[in-house]
Amino acid sequence: MEATGRKRQSLLSRIMNPKYIMVYATIGIFLIIYIFGAINYADSGFLTLRTLIISMFTENAYYGISAVGMTMVLITGGIDLSVGAVSSLTGMLIAYGVARMNIHPLVCLAFALVIGVGLGAIMGAAIHYLNVPPFIMTLTGMFLTRGVCSLISRESIEIDNELIDALAGFKIYLKWWNEDGEWAKIKPICYINFNLLLFIIMIIIGTILLQRTRFGRNVYAIGGNEQSAKLMGLPVARTKIIVYAFNGFCSVLAGFAYVLYVKSGWNLALQGGELEVITCAVIGGTLMTGGVGYMIGTLFGVLLKSAIPALITFNGNLLSWWGKIATGALLLLFIFIQRVVVLYSDRKKQE
Amino acid sequence: MKKRSINLSALTRSKITWAVIAELLILLVCFIIRPDFFSISIQPSTGVLYGSLIDIVNRSAEISIIAMGMTLAIALGGTDLSVGALVAVSGAMALKLMRWDVLEYVTPGDYTVKPFWMAILFPLITCTIMGLFNGFLIAKGGMQPFIATLILMVSGRGIAQILTNGKQFTTMYSPFRVIGQGNLGPIPMPIVIMTVVCVLMALFVRKTAFGTFVEAVGVNRSASRLSGISSDAVIMIVYSITGFLSGIAGLIYSSRIMSNDSNNAGINYEMDAILAVVIGGTAMTGGKFSLLGTLIGSIIIRTIVTFVYYFGIVAEATMAFKALIIAVVIVLQSEPVREYFARRSEKRASLKQG
Amino acid sequence: MPEDIILEMKEIEIQFPGVKALDKVDFTLRRGEVHSLLGENGAGKSTLIKCLTGVNHKDAGQILLEGKEINPTSPQQAMDMGISTVYQEINLCPNLTVAENIFIGRQPMKRGQIDWKTINRRADELMSRFHLDIDVTRPLSFYSTAIQQMVSIARAVDVQAKILILDEPTSSLDDNEVRLLFDVMRDLKKDGMGIIFITHFLDQVYEISDRMTILRNGHLVGSYGINELNKVQLVTQMIGKDIDVIFNLKRADVKPDAPYMLEAEHIGVPGKVKDINVSLKEGELLGFAGLLGSGRTETAEMLFGAEKTTQGTIKKKGSEVNLKNPHAAIMEKIAFCPEDRKVDGIIGDLSIRENIMLAVQARRGFMHPMSRAEQEKLAEKYIQALGIATPDAEKKIAELSGGNQQKVILARWMATDPDVLILDEPTRGIDVGAKAEIQRLMLEMCNDGVSVIFISSELDEIIRCSNRIVIMRDRQKVAEVDGATCTQQDILNIIAEGSAAGKAEEGSV
Repeated sequence: MEATGRKRQSLLSRIMNPKYIMVYATIGIFLIIYIFGAINYADSGFLTLRTLIISMFTENAYYGISAVGMTMVLITGGIDLSVGAVSSLTGMLIAYGVARMNIHPLVCLAFALVIGVGLGAIMGAAIHYLNVPPFIMTLTGMFLTRGVCSLISRESIEIDNELIDALAGFKIYLKWWNEDGEWAKIKPICYINFNLLLFIIMIIIGTILLQRTRFGRNVYAIGGNEQSAKLMGLPVARTKIIVYAFNGFCSVLAGFAYVLYVKSGWNLALQGGELEVITCAVIGGTLMTGGVGYMIGTLFGVLLKSAIPALITFNGNLLSWWGKIATGALLLLFIFIQRVVVLYSDRKKQE
Repeated sequence: MKKRSINLSALTRSKITWAVIAELLILLVCFIIRPDFFSISIQPSTGVLYGSLIDIVNRSAEISIIAMGMTLAIALGGTDLSVGALVAVSGAMALKLMRWDVLEYVTPGDYTVKPFWMAILFPLITCTIMGLFNGFLIAKGGMQPFIATLILMVSGRGIAQILTNGKQFTTMYSPFRVIGQGNLGPIPMPIVIMTVVCVLMALFVRKTAFGTFVEAVGVNRSASRLSGISSDAVIMIVYSITGFLSGIAGLIYSSRIMSNDSNNAGINYEMDAILAVVIGGTAMTGGKFSLLGTLIGSIIIRTIVTFVYYFGIVAEATMAFKALIIAVVIVLQSEPVREYFARRSEKRASLKQG
Repeated sequence: MPEDIILEMKEIEIQFPGVKALDKVDFTLRRGEVHSLLGENGAGKSTLIKCLTGVNHKDAGQILLEGKEINPTSPQQAMDMGISTVYQEINLCPNLTVAENIFIGRQPMKRGQIDWKTINRRADELMSRFHLDIDVTRPLSFYSTAIQQMVSIARAVDVQAKILILDEPTSSLDDNEVRLLFDVMRDLKKDGMGIIFITHFLDQVYEISDRMTILRNGHLVGSYGINELNKVQLVTQMIGKDIDVIFNLKRADVKPDAPYMLEAEHIGVPGKVKDINVSLKEGELLGFAGLLGSGRTETAEMLFGAEKTTQGTIKKKGSEVNLKNPHAAIMEKIAFCPEDRKVDGIIGDLSIRENIMLAVQARRGFMHPMSRAEQEKLAEKYIQALGIATPDAEKKIAELSGGNQQKVILARWMATDPDVLILDEPTRGIDVGAKAEIQRLMLEMCNDGVSVIFISSELDEIIRCSNRIVIMRDRQKVAEVDGATCTQQDILNIIAEGSAAGKAEEGSV
C-alpha cells in the first residue's frame, strides 16, 4: 500500500498521467512550429516577442475569449454554433447604440450580456429538456442571431467613442533591463493590450471553474457519461444550462473584444467564427466526444492556430489559402494523435 | 372504421406530418397575401414554366440534391460538414478546366479549353474521392464524422482557391449554361436533375437492401458487422455518395452564375442540408430515415427564402425567419412533446372506450 | 425486534400503461442483513427498486425508513435519505479519476475550492479497505470492468448509506472478485447496513444472504429465511412451475462416425490467445468452460472471423477456409451470437422483422433484397417457432425483454440455416424459464444436424447440455473432457489446478 502511495506522489508519475497527453501534444507541436519559424525567419524578426505577442496572441484574442466558453461546452459533449453570430450581434448592439442612439457603450454591453446569456440559457434548456441535438439547437440560435443582426443594420457602423478608444488604446508595456541596465520598455515595442488581458483573465477564470469547483467537475462528469452523472445525483440540467449561458457570456465578451479591435459593428462580422473557435479548442486537446479538455490546452490551441498564418505571412511567397489547408492538416494530425493515445492506453489496459 | 383510426394515429405519430403542415402553412400565408402566388404560366419567349412555385423548386435543387446524401450520412449517425466546401471545389475545377490559365486575358467566349466531358466528369470524380476520404477517416480511422468532415470543411475552400490560383473565371460556353439555366421541354434543368437524383436515390436505398443496411449500421455498428454487414464499406459508400452529389450541386451552382466563386459558392449549404434532413424527420442520432421528408424539408427552407424575397422583408433577415420556423418544427418533433401528444391521444381513446 | 427494521415497504402498487407492474407488494429489510430479491425478469424486482430510489413513482402504498414515511422523487433525494444503489451497468464516468468518481457531487471543500488532497487520500484509504492496491489518480477507464464495479460499490458505501442496493453487481466479476465483494458485504453487515441483493446466480444467494423475498408477475410470493427453502424449491417458487419439467433436457445424440464439421488447428492471435485446437462434429454440442478472460470469447470470435487469426488453419467440412471477417464466416454458414447482447447483438431502433432478416440479407448482399412479404413470412415463422412474446413483428427490438431479445438474435442466425452455431453466454441475464427454452432450442438444432459451440460461465448448464467440454485458462486450451461423465468439481479442479500451478511458477522465478 505504502509503495503505491509513494508511486502516486512521485512527480514524474503525476506529470505522465495519461490525461495530460493531449495538452503536451499541443504544446509540443506549437514549439516545433515556433522553432521552425525562428530558424527560418529569424532575420525577418519571427523570433521577437513582438511576433509572439502581437500577431499570435493579440490579433486572435477574441477567438480565444470565445474558446474559453466553447471548451466548456465541448467538455459536456455538446457544441455551440451560435458563438460567431452572438459576437457579431454584440458588435451591432454596441455600434448601433453608441453611434445612432447615443447610449453609453457599457450600457450597450450590459444589454448584450443579458441577451447573450439569456439565449445561451434558453438553448441549454431546450437541449436538456426537449432533447434537441445541440448541433441543431445552436444552429437555429445562430440563424436567429444573424437574422437579428441584419434587421438592426445591413451596413457596417463606425464607432467613435472615447471609452472605446481608451480601452482599445490601453497598453501595458513589457519591460526588461536594457543595455544600460535600466528597467525600460522592450524594443521593438511589445505590450499587452486590453483584449489579451481579458483573454488571459478568462483563461484563469475558466481553469478555476473547471478544476476547483463542483460545477466544473460536474461539467467533466456530464461529458464522461451523462446518464451516470444523472444517477450519481449530479445536477445535470442546471450544469448544462449554466455552461451554455456561460458560453453566451464569453461570446459577448469576445464580441466586445472584436469591437475594440475593429472599432465598428457589421452584421456579417466573424462569419464562420464558430468553426475557428471550435478548431482552437480541438487542436488544444479538447475531445469533441466530451469529457476531456483543459483551458491551458485551449490557450496553446489559439497560439498554435495563429502561428500558421504568421508563418505564411513571414514566408511571403505562399498564398494565404495555404493557411486553411494547413489548419485542416493540423486538425487531422491532432485527431490522429488522439486516436493513437486511445489505442495505446487500451492496449496497455489489456496487458 | 378500425383501419381508418389506425392510419390516423400513424399519421399523428409520423415525423413527416409536422413538416408537411409547416410547409402548407407557409404557402397558405403566401397565398393570402398574394393570391397570384400559385399561378404557373409558360414564358412565351422560351417555352419554360414560370411562377413562384416553380422558382422555389428550381432554387432548392442544390440543397435537395446534397440533402439526399446528407440523409444517409445522418442516418449513419454522422453528418457531413464538408459539402459546402466541395460545392466550391467542384465549381472551381469545372471552370478551371474550361478556361485555362493562359487565356486569362482573353474575353470569355463560347468555347471550352478542355473537352466539355472532362469539365463535368473531373469535378464529380474529385468530389467523390474527397467524400471517400471523409468516409475512410470515419470507417477506418475511427474518427467522429463531425470532426473528420470538419477537416475538409476548413481546408476545402483553400483547395478550391489554390486550384484556380485565387482567381475568379467566367465562361460563356453554352452547353455548360444548360446545366443551371437550361430546360428540358418546359421544365427547368435543375428541377430535372434534382428529380433524377431523388428518384435514383430512392430506388437505390429502398429497392435494394442498402437503406436497411444504412439504418442498421447507424443504430449499432458493431452488431451490424457481426451480422455480416460490411459496416466500413457502407460508411465509405455513403460519404462518397454525399461527395458526388455535392459535386453535382457545385456544377449547377456555377452554371447558374457561369463562374466560380470559391468564397461564396455553397456557403452554409451544410447547415441548410442538415436542417432539411432534420425537419424531414430523420433523427441526428441515426437510424430510420426518410428521403421524402428530406425533400420536403429542403423545399420548406427554400420557401422561407422566397417568402422573404417576395414580401419585401430585408433579405438578410431570412435567417431569422428560418430560425423561427425551424424552432417550431424542432419543438414539435422533440421527444417530450411527441410523447405528450401520444399520451393525450391515448387518454382520449381510453376515455372514449370507457 | 421492530427497532431492528430499517425499511418497510407496504402494499406498494405501481401501474404502467396497460399493466399492473406491482400489486400490493410488501418488503421489509432489517439492520445488518443481506436480503436477496428474487424473481424472473419482468417479475417486478427492478420496478420495486426504482420505486425505492425515486425513479418510478408508486400509485399506492407506503415506504417507511426507520419508521418515518418517505417519498423519494429522484435518485438524488433517495441518496440523501441514505439509500445507495449500485447498478449492473457501471454508472461512473470513465474520464474522471477513481478518486473523483467516488467523491463527485460531495467533494470536500477547503477555502471555497475542491480539496484534492483529501479526496485522493480518502479514496486511497477506501480502496485499501476493499483490498485494492491501485493508483486512485488514474482515470477510471484505465482499469478493468471488475475494478470499476468495485469503485462504484465503494462510492455507494462511502455516502454513509443506511441501505445499499446491489442490482446484479456480480455479472461481470470473476470468482475471486465475487469473494472480495462478499467480504466487503460482510463487513458492511457488521456495521449495521441493510443490503438488498439482486442476482441471477442462485449459488451466490445461498452464500451471502440471510433472507430472501420472491416476486412473480408483480405479486409477492413470499419472504423466507435462507434455510427455509432449498434451491429447487426456490426456483419452483420463482417460476411457479416444477423445475424438473423445465429442465427435462436430453443431450444431443452424436453418431460416433459423424463427420467433422469444423476443425481449427493451432489458431491464435498474438496477445490474445495462442495455439488453440478445436474440432467439432456434425450435430455435436461443444461446451467452452473457463473464467471470464480465459480466452473463450476470443476463440469463438476467431472461428467467426470477428477476430482475424494470424496463425493456424481452419477447415470446414474438410476444406480449408479463410475467415477474414464475419461476412466470410456467414458465407461459410457459420453463425455467432455475441456475448454482449446490447452492444453487439440487437439493433435497438429497428423492428423485430428487420433484426431477424439482417444476417440472411447480409449473406445475399444488398443488391438482392428480400421482398417485404418474404421478410414478414420469415419473421412470423420464427416468432411462432421460438415463442417470442410480442404483439407483432414491427415492434422495436429495444422494447422487448432480455430473454425475448436473445430469442430474436437466435432467430436471426437460425434463419441463415447455419452449419455451425456459436453461442457466447446466450443465457446470461435472462430468467430461468427463458434459459431453459434457449437450452432446449440449442439441443433441438443439434438433433437437426447443426453443430453448436456453447460458451457459458455457469458450469451446471454446460454440463447439462454438452457432449464434450473444452476448458480454457490463461488464453490457452488446457483440457477437453466428456460432457456425459464429468462433474462440476472436475472442471473446477482443472481450472483451479492450472492457476495454482501458474502461481507456483511465478513464485519460483
